[in-house]
Amino acid sequence: MKKIFYYFILCCVILSCEDVIDVDLPLTETKLIVNAVFRVDITQEFVPVSVSVTETTDFFSEPQVTELENAIIFYGISNPDAPEILENLNSSSLAEISPGSGIYEPDPTFDEDQRIRTSSLEPGMVFQLIIEHKGSRYFATTPYVTSPPIDTIEQGTETLFDEDDIEVLVTFTDVPDVENYYVFDFDFDEFLALDDQFIDGQQFEFSYFYNKELMPGDEVEISILGVDEPFFSYMDLLLEQTEGTGGVFETPSATVRGNVFDITGLDNDEIFDNVERPGNFPLGYFAVVQEFKQSLIIE
Amino acid sequence: MPNIRSVLFFVLLLLPIFCFSQQRYTISGTISEAASNETLIGVTVAIPELRTGTTTNEYGFYSISLPKGDYDIVVSYLGFKEVSQTVSLNANKKINFKLEEEAEQLDEVIVSDDAERLDIRKPQMSVNGLKVQTIKKIPVVLGEADVIKSLLLLPGVTSAGEASSGFNVRGGAADQNLILLDEATIFNSSHLFGFFSVFNPDAIKDIKLFKGGIPSRYGGRVSSVLEIFQREGNSKEIKFTGGIGAVASRLLVEGPIIKDRTAFLAGGRASYAHLFLPLFDLNNKAYFYDVNTKISHKVNDKNSIYLSGYFGRDVFSINESFVNVYGNAVGNFRWNHLFSDKLFSNLSLIYSDYFYGLELDFVGFEWDSGIRNFNLKYDLKHYLNDKLQINYGLNNIYYVFNPGKIIPNSPESGIVEEQLTKKYANEAAVYVDVEQKVTENLSINYGLRVSHFNRLGQDELFVYQNNQPVIFDPFQLVYREANPIDTINPGRGTNLATYTNLEPRVSLAYTLNKKNSVKASYTRLAQYLHLLSNTSSPTPLDVWTPSGPFIEPQLLDQYALGYFRNINNGEYSIELEGFYKDIQNRIDYIDGADLIANNAIEQVILNGEARAYGLEFLLRKNEGKFQGWLAYTLSKSEQRTPGRPAVVDNGRSNLESGINFGEWYNTPYDKTHDIALYGNYSLNNSWSFNSNFIFQTGQPTNFPVGQFEFEGLVVPFFGLRNQTRLPNYHRLDIAATLKPKKNENREFQSEWVFSIYNVYNRRNAASINFRQNQDTGSNEAVRTAIFGIVPSITYNFKF
Repeated sequence: MKKIFYYFILCCVILSCEDVIDVDLPLTETKLIVNAVFRVDITQEFVPVSVSVTETTDFFSEPQVTELENAIIFYGISNPDAPEILENLNSSSLAEISPGSGIYEPDPTFDEDQRIRTSSLEPGMVFQLIIEHKGSRYFATTPYVTSPPIDTIEQGTETLFDEDDIEVLVTFTDVPDVENYYVFDFDFDEFLALDDQFIDGQQFEFSYFYNKELMPGDEVEISILGVDEPFFSYMDLLLEQTEGTGGVFETPSATVRGNVFDITGLDNDEIFDNVERPGNFPLGYFAVVQEFKQSLIIE
Repeated sequence: MPNIRSVLFFVLLLLPIFCFSQQRYTISGTISEAASNETLIGVTVAIPELRTGTTTNEYGFYSISLPKGDYDIVVSYLGFKEVSQTVSLNANKKINFKLEEEAEQLDEVIVSDDAERLDIRKPQMSVNGLKVQTIKKIPVVLGEADVIKSLLLLPGVTSAGEASSGFNVRGGAADQNLILLDEATIFNSSHLFGFFSVFNPDAIKDIKLFKGGIPSRYGGRVSSVLEIFQREGNSKEIKFTGGIGAVASRLLVEGPIIKDRTAFLAGGRASYAHLFLPLFDLNNKAYFYDVNTKISHKVNDKNSIYLSGYFGRDVFSINESFVNVYGNAVGNFRWNHLFSDKLFSNLSLIYSDYFYGLELDFVGFEWDSGIRNFNLKYDLKHYLNDKLQINYGLNNIYYVFNPGKIIPNSPESGIVEEQLTKKYANEAAVYVDVEQKVTENLSINYGLRVSHFNRLGQDELFVYQNNQPVIFDPFQLVYREANPIDTINPGRGTNLATYTNLEPRVSLAYTLNKKNSVKASYTRLAQYLHLLSNTSSPTPLDVWTPSGPFIEPQLLDQYALGYFRNINNGEYSIELEGFYKDIQNRIDYIDGADLIANNAIEQVILNGEARAYGLEFLLRKNEGKFQGWLAYTLSKSEQRTPGRPAVVDNGRSNLESGINFGEWYNTPYDKTHDIALYGNYSLNNSWSFNSNFIFQTGQPTNFPVGQFEFEGLVVPFFGLRNQTRLPNYHRLDIAATLKPKKNENREFQSEWVFSIYNVYNRRNAASINFRQNQDTGSNEAVRTAIFGIVPSITYNFKF
């Protein structure tokens, strides 16, 4: 046996990085975008009813505000035997209050108050949205979903990738024995979708690290939204598409379809589904969710 | 059609009976390397007078039966001195050959070998062999010789690019490759998310990739079989082999325990922690290590036993708050037994395990998942005469799948411990495979594998309305997870689902003349395991799931036709092959499927289909100072998942639009053009130069067709699946190997390998992301490129 010689030279340059490039993107026809998430604060008198509509352009241009021919909300209690039938039906007609804004709110010109009182909300309540746009009629239905409050939020001291990472610790208590889904809104368009598969009934504390660079003195407002499973999946997918982790581990991008769909000509006789017209759908979501908020000053 | 096939099969099976008329004797034995007693695979044993011959099997054994008479036996294996011996065959004879390595001559370096060389007479087609010596010369990123990266230079083999695990064969997915290390299944072939493969080149003897015409002794994966044999170890003297590279070093020791009878081999490899990924500060780690071990013992002339093992792990940690460990472990006991000089047997008992562990401190949990299997294999090779060999055997694999277990990592953690339902399955198979020379010009391999799969009972199983775990919304046109209507608790003894498949295989070679032959093959294969992976290349976190009540086994039919030609007495060879593949029950995921920690994976999976077809061309130069090859593949790989048959509900038949509206779409591994050029030039005894160039059509992906804003989020909006492609991938690498002059006349052998990866610093896109610029608020397309130009130096030694 002879001596082992160790020759060691390290010579390695890794140049891995990102750069912005020009890409030709395929074009498609414009689509209607419906943003209608009513975040209910039960301490307030009214449900913040507001439906915002825009239209897609290509990826590098801003969506354009558009106009509806008609917008109305129906709400009532779903019949346990026939969930599609709503009992104690009420309605709220919407109108574009400020012209050209594309934002539709309860129409103040009606004799009767079109606003929805939070006191009228009760478990099992279902909302339906019907809008008409450029000759097509769209429909969405969503339940009112309640949420437990946030117990505490506080600033943590840990960092993840970077010394400047800001950690916030959020604590809330999951409702036991039922499947719950939550969306956390951390402000600055940062969200987190969470289900209770592993935390059922627990008081649960978790960390969130902000993407945005925060400075001491900045105020952050954190909300918990109680959501149903379809809206949870929708937000989860939406976040996945926007967060683009980069690299080959990314899940394939998919068309994120919301719960608003085309009912033009659906007569339940000749046409009772959209299978034959797969391309015709609007984007966005209609949801009525309970929200609890807390705020924190970054130190 | 199936009837005609089975009739043909039996006619062929009867043919050998007419060949037994003459008095025959058998010559058999083992062929090994003289210096180390390492057995040699694929050595040619020729009997020129009869224009016949055979080759050694995976254990270095050969056997051939010939009519009584006097013959010259010529044993040749390139890189070794040819041996010839005259034998008077009047009784069965046992002749072991020891081959001596051919000393490299000063001016003319002979580097070529049988494993890679084309045998136009054998019916085996769609097979590529690579010698470890070749693999060690191919320039790779960071200078670490790499089995899988080398395979990518062969026709029909591609990968998702840099830093991506696995490889794709003939438009197949990475989970459709059966990777065998000493006959044990390896579930994850990559270290560090694909930067390196898990195989230590010093410990490897032989590599073979079957892309089609897969013999019936293999089964369980539909795309390819990558068979890797570890060396047995030198039973003559202690030897060291090693290398020091830019990111990893390796050392291998081998030697005799009992001289000429028992040998050991132990090899280790590790990357330098902290040096790789210098992105973070010192609290972070990213490294891997692996260990190969083997003990081989020759009990007597008729019996040999082998004990081999592999253990590899990757470790990542960020600030101790994110810790990730994963890897394979394999243990294997084999017993070679000669029943007679014509009947060779091998019994294997194999344990194989893939583990994935993750700890996320900031959420407060630990996670582990994995797959374990116990494999019993018994293979017999029956060398009836020089024209007929029959291989048969059986195989039983028992699997335990752990889709994941979550454990709180501290008493304060709000996580509730949960074990996702473990799954159990058993896969059994019997096979027979006939290798027959029908006439001087026609050789046929035909066989049948019968596989039988039981999905065994598990603790909890969901029951669904109409037996449909996925429901379709006919208005929004989306597939959704169904809510179970019940949960049952079938015992482990029950069968949740049973599948039996007949897998016939036929391949034939017709030699037109000395130079030209045509080959054709048909292969049917069944795959019962599916890797749940929704990304363009697998990740270590992906879990395997068995077929069962809702997930059907994948079934492949592959047809291949080829033309083969040796030019200038084998100096050049040309291989041209066309293939068509059709796979039933390729799983597909509904949009937005969440595969991780999903206890009801059936709720996000639909059974679709896949197909691939293409043309492969390989031109090789096998001899001389300049050697190398040009590989070109033109191919297409697609899949689709149409709507399921209408279900009548409330008197209405519900149609479905399918995934991607039921249209065919490109798989992520559809690479229209794939060109690989590899060259090796030996200047003199000291210097040799290697270079390779790769061009691949860009990988199919999705670019957004628009954007929309929702609750302040700017979301890209995508159309149908995989309509667009990343930019084309291409790259040139060069390497130079220096063998110092003082190597001559001494035992210590060393070499330097200098390499430059991506010479012209092409910024190949690993991905293109679409996002909103945080400063300007406008959208932009961002390209991520992994490696620019990477020079590196590796020092290899042997003594």
